[in-house]
Amino acid sequence: MAPTPTIRLHVPGPLRDYCGGAAQLSIQAPTVRTLLEELERSQSGLYGNLCDETGRLRRHLNLFVNSDNMRDLEGVDTKLAPGDEVILLPAVSGG
Amino acid sequence: MADRVILTIGTKKGVFVAEAGKPRRSFALRGPFGPGIPVYSTLIDTRGTPRLYASSCNPFFGMKLLRSTDMGRSFKETKSAPAFPKDDGRALANIWALEPGAGKKELWCGVEPASLFRSNDGGDTWQMVPGISNHDHARKWEPGNGGLCMHTIIRDGKRLHLGISTGGHYVSEDGGETFQASNQGVGAGFTPDPYPEFGQCVHKMARHDDAPGRLYMQNHGGWAEWTGPGGPHPGIGVLRSDDHGRSWRSIAKGLPSDFGFPIVVHPHDADTVYVMPLDPATRSCPGAAPAVWRSENGGESWSRLARGLPKKQSYFTVLRDAMDVDRLKTPALYFGTTTGQLWIGREGGEQWDCLNDALPPIHNVKVAVV
Repeated sequence: MAPTPTIRLHVPGPLRDYCGGAAQLSIQAPTVRTLLEELERSQSGLYGNLCDETGRLRRHLNLFVNSDNMRDLEGVDTKLAPGDEVILLPAVSGG
Repeated sequence: MADRVILTIGTKKGVFVAEAGKPRRSFALRGPFGPGIPVYSTLIDTRGTPRLYASSCNPFFGMKLLRSTDMGRSFKETKSAPAFPKDDGRALANIWALEPGAGKKELWCGVEPASLFRSNDGGDTWQMVPGISNHDHARKWEPGNGGLCMHTIIRDGKRLHLGISTGGHYVSEDGGETFQASNQGVGAGFTPDPYPEFGQCVHKMARHDDAPGRLYMQNHGGWAEWTGPGGPHPGIGVLRSDDHGRSWRSIAKGLPSDFGFPIVVHPHDADTVYVMPLDPATRSCPGAAPAVWRSENGGESWSRLARGLPKKQSYFTVLRDAMDVDRLKTPALYFGTTTGQLWIGREGGEQWDCLNDALPPIHNVKVAVV
């Protein structure tokens, strides 16, 4: 059985206070879904900013696996590979 | 420390705090706190050491509740904000109402989608109140233009009144365990049944301790010209109850429009009530000439208060929680506009002055003397 990949999660600046100031977190997760589940378990304050009570990624937050938005891949079922970079970015807004 | 008049101003881009001495000649403005994030509800909790609260409706990272223990010089997030149970299926979209409860630390919170939460520790932890949040009617309520929001919480001993848009008025007689729809006489112009059991678009409600059983309501009026199902419904927008909200009657006669959002009661006279009638199409004052209207006899007649306000070409809206009145001997009214103006109505609204004309769009204005 292949080992669970370790990925690097980039935390946006406004959320770093929720994970001890870390700009990046190394997390073992084979899919985006398990990544979010691991965050819910180990970083509940950060997780609450990313997902609503139903477990859905917040509407105006984008999660990229390397350079691809997970919504263009397989959503939360997107597979992760060792060394992948997962980037969280708020959607563009104005006004 | 001498009495200070504190205003919390919830805006599209954070919460501001304004402070003045009792003469209220000029207000010092602080903020924005929670910058860039819309604030729809604030509370100045004067029980014990004053605490200021502001909801922070973060479109990216979810709902936060901010709290200040230094009279609005700084705000910090509470340990948690209201949240639905994981298996509920609903997700919090906004926080619309914050009200003090019993003791020194109980708080009530009305949210969107319309539900009620209670905290026993000053806002650090929250529990959903199932009696209304899971009421048989709850999944039948429909959102209005502002969302499906629980915006009014009025405590009266063990009795608890709630205003929901678009759900109507609900009352609990047992401290919040169970709730009943209580809308007899509250009209709805947007359903074939002009007086449904529930589903009215209540905009705001108010009461006074000196008038047990009496409630005032600003309902969604503006249906006098309606020619569709049910025909015209004149006068359903401004209402009064004298039996704890069991039945309601119109007190709109004499107003230029029965549409509006806020309704405020004088702090020392239960018969004096203020509304701001709006044209239902534009949500601005009739004739584009802003005015607050005052009744000094419980809604039997009304007079226009506009000295100092613009006389023409003003198209702002004053939203449901954007008007309040302080509790000084001669109280002043305050309202904030969707165009970012903050006004004070001195001498009970006889003379209006603009305190600030360039804030972000204002959702909420609360005042307290501390």
